[in-house]
Amino acid sequence: MKLSSLGALALAAALLIAAVAASASSSSPDRQTATKVVIWLQNDAESGWKEMVTSTNDAFRAKHAGVDVDVQYQGWGDHLTKFDAALAGGTAPDVIELGNTETTRYMAAKLLQDLTSQAKSFPNSKTWLAALKDSCTYGGKLYCVPYYAGARAVIYRKDQYKAAGVKSAPKSLDQFAAAGKKLMKRYGKQRNYSALYFPGQYVWAGLSFVYDYGGKIAVSKNGKWQGTLNSPQALKGLNRLKSIVKALSRANKTTDEANPQQSLVFSKGRVGAFIGNGWEWPYALDEKVGNPSLKGKIGAYPMPSHIAGKFMPSFLGGSDVAVPVTSKNKALAYDWIRIFTSNSSMRKLATIGKQIPNTTSLASINAKNPQLAPFANASKYSWFVPTAPNWVKVENARVLKNMFQAIITGRQSVKKAATNASSQITKILNQPVT
Amino acid sequence: MSFQPGSEAGFPAPPVAAAGPVLVRRRRPAGERIFRAASPYLLLAPAALVIVAVLGYPLYLLTKLSFQEFGLAALVTKKGTWIGVDNYTRIFRDHQFWTVLLRTFVFTAVNVGLTMIFGTLIALLLTRLGRFMRLLLTTGLVFVWATPVVVAVNIFRWMVDYEFGVLNWTLTKLHFGDFLNKDWFADPKMGFGVITAIIVWGAIPFVAITVYAGLSQVPAELVEAAEIDGARRWQVFKDITFPLLTPIFVILTSLSIIWDFQVFNQVWLARGGEPEEDYWLMSVYSFFEAFRLGEYGFGAAIAVVMVGFMFLATFVYLRQMIRMGETR
Repeated sequence: MKLSSLGALALAAALLIAAVAASASSSSPDRQTATKVVIWLQNDAESGWKEMVTSTNDAFRAKHAGVDVDVQYQGWGDHLTKFDAALAGGTAPDVIELGNTETTRYMAAKLLQDLTSQAKSFPNSKTWLAALKDSCTYGGKLYCVPYYAGARAVIYRKDQYKAAGVKSAPKSLDQFAAAGKKLMKRYGKQRNYSALYFPGQYVWAGLSFVYDYGGKIAVSKNGKWQGTLNSPQALKGLNRLKSIVKALSRANKTTDEANPQQSLVFSKGRVGAFIGNGWEWPYALDEKVGNPSLKGKIGAYPMPSHIAGKFMPSFLGGSDVAVPVTSKNKALAYDWIRIFTSNSSMRKLATIGKQIPNTTSLASINAKNPQLAPFANASKYSWFVPTAPNWVKVENARVLKNMFQAIITGRQSVKKAATNASSQITKILNQPVT
Repeated sequence: MSFQPGSEAGFPAPPVAAAGPVLVRRRRPAGERIFRAASPYLLLAPAALVIVAVLGYPLYLLTKLSFQEFGLAALVTKKGTWIGVDNYTRIFRDHQFWTVLLRTFVFTAVNVGLTMIFGTLIALLLTRLGRFMRLLLTTGLVFVWATPVVVAVNIFRWMVDYEFGVLNWTLTKLHFGDFLNKDWFADPKMGFGVITAIIVWGAIPFVAITVYAGLSQVPAELVEAAEIDGARRWQVFKDITFPLLTPIFVILTSLSIIWDFQVFNQVWLARGGEPEEDYWLMSVYSFFEAFRLGEYGFGAAIAVVMVGFMFLATFVYLRQMIRMGETR
């Protein structure tokens, strides 16, 4: 009773406020007051660097009185499906975050606003990270603004490594495997303990093994794409991955790194290490969902290569922000992006979110911070997906997730799974762009 | 009596006119015949209009889309390219289509079979139970029926969870082997086992309650007479109960086929919104091609083929029903 009457009161208050706001906006001569800018960001921002979003919105509202900002957080699994539906229904957002592997298809379909003529009006446009700028460029034109980059490194429990007798960060893949075995020996009796937590559909970390052994996802020859995941080098990498995961991981073999969030699994204590993004370190310590008592017990190092002393190439992930052609508030959308990618925002992204900012002019922030340096170092040896317009279809069709799951569950031989995936990739990449 | 024709037409009949009815009666036949002939259609018209609006028109759009190449860019321009039957020839050349089709047939057969068998068994059990137990079981069935699919799938997902699932725990405790960290979805056969369990579990109540209702109509004398003649229980079921209930079984089986052939939610939810290829049924396949890969025309063509199969199932069922009506 008490609660429901409280709820009714709150509802009445909300209605009253809405009514007042509505009457205020309708009585105002400026029609712009009813405008709402809708922003779609990925939920990494929500869990990793929400302060950057809040401060951007505050600054934006201060500049554009009466304009409302509505940030809606999306998940990677289905945000493009939603975006496509919204485009068809005419309800697409004014600003959308796209992963740097997702942009090409939308640029090719001319669904993103051409920003070439006003590129200079965006902060740091001269010093944008080349890799991100490339992911925003199609046919010589600019269609989006770089947001952040991220490389993955090994995030580990320093205390467990020490207790298991691993004295220093592994310098080669062999050492990494040996260290893992020591951890399994020390802690493996615990149910579900993983020296390396590696879910079966972890595509982005898995493919690094392929690139470490000299393999590639696909190559382009005379304008034709050819999937190459079944090349001898790629197979070597995949086989090595399989044996390491088999020995060190008891993670679920049919889920990916985000379901459940691997850093939260890590924070529960039964994980020695996982391969993660910069923001996943502080997320493991989050007061609400993580475990703050691990503070000081966590460290990171770049994933070592099979060649001693080198780093394993890391996937240079990242995101861009774009304005869909359907937006009715383009000028406002641009302005929101300008504030969102300003220097002060980017500093927050680096210090709070532990990500690599979109500009080389801020690179020093990462280099000086011990918590960021491993990720920044990892980003120096990186690989990227084939830059084909249809690439995102390979992701959407789950070709790679299926392959890794088949390999890690052992349902198919490495060679068979890789050959299947490879021929599917060849087929998809060579399809006409629609 | 003389008022009736007037009041039938909705007008208060003039109380004095004795000739009125005669006149009306004489004029009526022509008007009445037309009205009589047209009235069924007039009465059907609102329902037919609704059906055309909510089913016919979308189906027309779907069919139209299936003859077009309709990709991502077309979403905004709203203009697809007409490509004739290319989408259809592509489907029939796609080996994945045949795999999915076969899988969907097997899946439907297994699910319908299990649903019918368990539903009937429970219905037979209901007739033999005492009042209290029957009430308890019926309540349970109604609760299962009332459980939303999303809730049911999530409950099952938790039960078979890789790490914390009660099923793995129970099986291990009962010494069936080491089931800790058994991933039920790693092997699609096992995974489909779980999905089948969810679907059959959810479909049993409808079948059980309907068959039970039918069983209560079977004349007790017939069963008694058969039993006196020495028929065993199975024979009674086979030779008396089943033939009498055939119409009910035909209806239930056809409905189950229609439902199970187009299963989507259970697969989708059980695999966390991202079913692996091995879990694709027709509906999932169509959705993936259309909405994940942005091949709306191709996805629509798959959907049209699916509608065709459903139509076939419905047709067989309708023919059976009409035939049954004729023999009676």
